Amino acid sequence: MTGCHEVRPLLPARPEELTPEQALLRADHVLACTRCAAEAAGYGRLGAALAVLAGFEAEPPFGTLERILATLGRRRVAVADPKVAAVAAGSAGALLGAILVARALRQRRRSGGVGGKGSRRGRPLSVPLAAAVRAR
Amino acid sequence: MKGIDVEVDRELVEAAQAGDRWALEELVRRTHRSVYTCALRLVGNPDDAADVTQDVYLRVVRKLGGFRHEASFATWLNRVTTNVAMSALKRRSRRIAVEGGAVPTDTRDPAPDPAERAEMVALARRLEQLVAQLPETQRQVLVLRDIYGQSTDEVADAMGISTGAVKVRLFRARERLKAELEAIEGGQVVALDGRRRAASPGGGGGRRA
Repeated sequence: MTGCHEVRPLLPARPEELTPEQALLRADHVLACTRCAAEAAGYGRLGAALAVLAGFEAEPPFGTLERILATLGRRRVAVADPKVAAVAAGSAGALLGAILVARALRQRRRSGGVGGKGSRRGRPLSVPLAAAVRAR
Repeated sequence: MKGIDVEVDRELVEAAQAGDRWALEELVRRTHRSVYTCALRLVGNPDDAADVTQDVYLRVVRKLGGFRHEASFATWLNRVTTNVAMSALKRRSRRIAVEGGAVPTDTRDPAPDPAERAEMVALARRLEQLVAQLPETQRQVLVLRDIYGQSTDEVADAMGISTGAVKVRLFRARERLKAELEAIEGGQVVALDGRRRAASPGGGGGRRA
């Protein structure tokens, strides 16, 4: 028979927390050892009592509910659907991108049209932005 | 996973998702005690638990639109509560030792037989106090795993520790709780019908030193 010292660490575990081998080892030992059987029963009872606690409730301090409701009321409560939020964010991003591109084009056009003032840094206008960044 | 043990109608959640203010407030009214209790068990003192409860609902409002009923609302709410409580614990150290007078009481009907129920309530109250006196790290894993039924992996994830560490803490917490419970019940006799009764009028209350 397996010794108590080998089985003892397995006694507090729930069945689903053990490997099949560990479960078998424990079951075999507990059948033959009354002391470990009593220990295992004690843990079983503890587990059952702890599970009961899930249905118990403490009373929050006075005014907690009112404070929560008031806080939610003060904030503009918009329960946003993430898809809608994503579309909105995408649209805003696209709009911002368009503005930036338009501004960049206008700047280039303006600087290119007025006697080549845009090549202040000696850079030809046709150099793409990424290449220009790399060049720096 | 059991999660917070409270029934919430799907219709109520959907109405709140659609922007119905009354439905949202009703959700808060129905669930705030369970959320507070879970928070209290995790953070260990009433003031912090009340703050966590408020933060939970602020997060619920932000995230409710993304809730797809893949799990029950109670399970989802339990996850939110766990995450908010864990974040709160990371931000502030535990300021106050576990205070008395905040022990949860039963609101459900755990046993139909009044005597059995009274005994269950008494046992659970003793156990709640013992759980509250566990070291913080042991208490948190025990609360999430053994009271709220989260898996070892979920507990590890919520606490940011390995599953091995969860198992070690669980082992120690269970071992300690069982020993303390047995020490308390040492002052009681087991009647022939299996029910425990106090050996003396004031018996059963002495904690092991």
